[in-house]
Amino acid sequence: MSQVQPLVEPELTPLSVVAPRKRGRLHIPGWLSLLLANPKSRFGLLVIAFMIVVAVIAPWISVSNPTDFNILATRQAPSWHHLFGTTDQGSDIFSQVVLGTRRSLILGAAAAVIATALATTLGILGAYSGGIVDEVVNFLTNVFLVIPTIPLLIVISGYLKARGMMTMILVLGLTLWAFEARILRGQALTLKNRDFVQAAKVAGESTWRIVFGELMPNMISRIAAAFVLVFYIALLVDAGLEFLGLGDTTHVSWGMVLYWAQTNSTVLQGEWWPFLFPGLALVLTVVALVFLLAGIDEVSNPRLRNVKRSK
Amino acid sequence: MRWFLRRLVFYAFAVWVALTLNFLLPRLMPGDPIAGVLAHLSPSQIQANPGIIQTYQALLGGGKGTIWHDYVVYLHRLSHLNFGISTSNYPAPVSDVIGRTLPYSIFLVGVAFLIAFALGTTIGMIAAWRRGGAVDTVVVPTLMALGAFPAFFTALLSVYFLGLKLKWFPIQHGYDSGLVPGFDWAFLSSAFRHSQLPIIVIVSAFAGGWVLNMRTVMINTISEEYVAMAHAKGLRDRRVMTRYAGRNAILPPLNGFAAQFAGAVGGLVFIEYVFSYPGAGLTLQQAALGNDYPLTQGLLLVFAFCVIASSFIMDLLNFVLDPRVRAT
Repeated sequence: MSQVQPLVEPELTPLSVVAPRKRGRLHIPGWLSLLLANPKSRFGLLVIAFMIVVAVIAPWISVSNPTDFNILATRQAPSWHHLFGTTDQGSDIFSQVVLGTRRSLILGAAAAVIATALATTLGILGAYSGGIVDEVVNFLTNVFLVIPTIPLLIVISGYLKARGMMTMILVLGLTLWAFEARILRGQALTLKNRDFVQAAKVAGESTWRIVFGELMPNMISRIAAAFVLVFYIALLVDAGLEFLGLGDTTHVSWGMVLYWAQTNSTVLQGEWWPFLFPGLALVLTVVALVFLLAGIDEVSNPRLRNVKRSK
Repeated sequence: MRWFLRRLVFYAFAVWVALTLNFLLPRLMPGDPIAGVLAHLSPSQIQANPGIIQTYQALLGGGKGTIWHDYVVYLHRLSHLNFGISTSNYPAPVSDVIGRTLPYSIFLVGVAFLIAFALGTTIGMIAAWRRGGAVDTVVVPTLMALGAFPAFFTALLSVYFLGLKLKWFPIQHGYDSGLVPGFDWAFLSSAFRHSQLPIIVIVSAFAGGWVLNMRTVMINTISEEYVAMAHAKGLRDRRVMTRYAGRNAILPPLNGFAAQFAGAVGGLVFIEYVFSYPGAGLTLQQAALGNDYPLTQGLLLVFAFCVIASSFIMDLLNFVLDPRVRAT
């Protein structure tokens, strides 16, 4: 949802200074120790690590099959027996939320990989090639930005009768690349006339080699930030589509739990648990990714870090 | 003037892309949309509307003609606002359904968006002016946190707490049951009360973005020399903040208006769904669930046009407000 789109893109300096490696038994790569040193990205990484652990061990900590129903235990408020309460079919919401983590994380990450790959290729290629290629890519990007994504996705989902995970990953990946492409194009434009790019050009490197071998490695922090941005937008959009009943109805996910909560008007009957827990799981993940994003920005752009000291 | 012409060409092209995307979408999708649509109509309903199948074929494909022939027919019918008949609202044409539901959405998102913009930029301006003050340390983080919530989750929370528990607002539908939509006091006052909570939710979702944008730009503007000059002239603090720094800082955030609006139009679907609000967003969701493809196609076009139009209006406003744009 675009209330989180950054408006003013700070000029980011590429991440080139890597912290000196400490010799130890556990080898931590430089970028990770940098991110762990920043409080914001540390919080984000810890929460996401927790979510991944939950997703991996989900089958063992969920107490029952999430689609099992039990007429004798419907609409129960949270208790020790059902930590997050039960649905009006008597399914255990804790199990549903825990198992839903798996699908949400995989789907968001996979869609973000596709969108980032597309945006990186188009954005950098356009900026580097200039001329007609840039004009076309930039025009296409801007047109995509004025076509409202959510209604477009709702219409597409309406046509797709089998909305499996792969389908949703592809659909989200192919629709969410435009704003990233614009960000990366701007970044590539500032790098394009640097000496190392000119040198590679004079040395006779091919366009693809310069785009992927010279420009891309120097924009890696910006690309990582773009990946995290699309990751949480894909998470939100996917959960939103499921909430509207336009997702994969055969699998358990956060959005599906919310959909059933809404369809059965549980809120209007004063039941808060069917919507609160899956909603909080989604919010927690999104907030963690937002913090990680802020951390990546601060690590790669030292100017943002000194805000507190300057005044 | 060259800038203005460039923008016009861009918008004309954007409209054409929206129209063409709308035309191609059902043809690219797996399955047979026409069969899906006709399955919702009885043989007598189809017989009562000669030409309805042709309209659907122009809209969704599956006819005998070539794709180019279909495209010409499609554009011709669209120019007469003929989107076919909505199967879920039979026998109402799609244009009638849109005409009935769109005003609710325009009212909701229009009012909420203006409030969010006015509130957000004002708070952002004050926060930057008094950095570390009460507004900057309390109001800004609160709004930012609210903005990070998915809109439908905020909506569900507010339905539960503000509506159900505190009973401050009506929580369902666009007006009290039993009323007939029209321009009379009973209906308008009821519609107004029902729109309050959805508007609050949209404002809380979008104000944070404006605050952040305005604050960032304003911080840079404050260090400009003309601001120091205004202070040196002995102008009152408020006047320097609003007329000098604020007046200039507001231009960059305005450029992001269209992208924000596109997001708000999408968020509207979720909010109308939670509140069962009878707007175009809820209609889109119901139509997509019920295979009413003519209606989803029509609504997608209308949403795209609304965003393109708002973007165009913002460009015009920018043209009026920013002398630098006029100079190019």
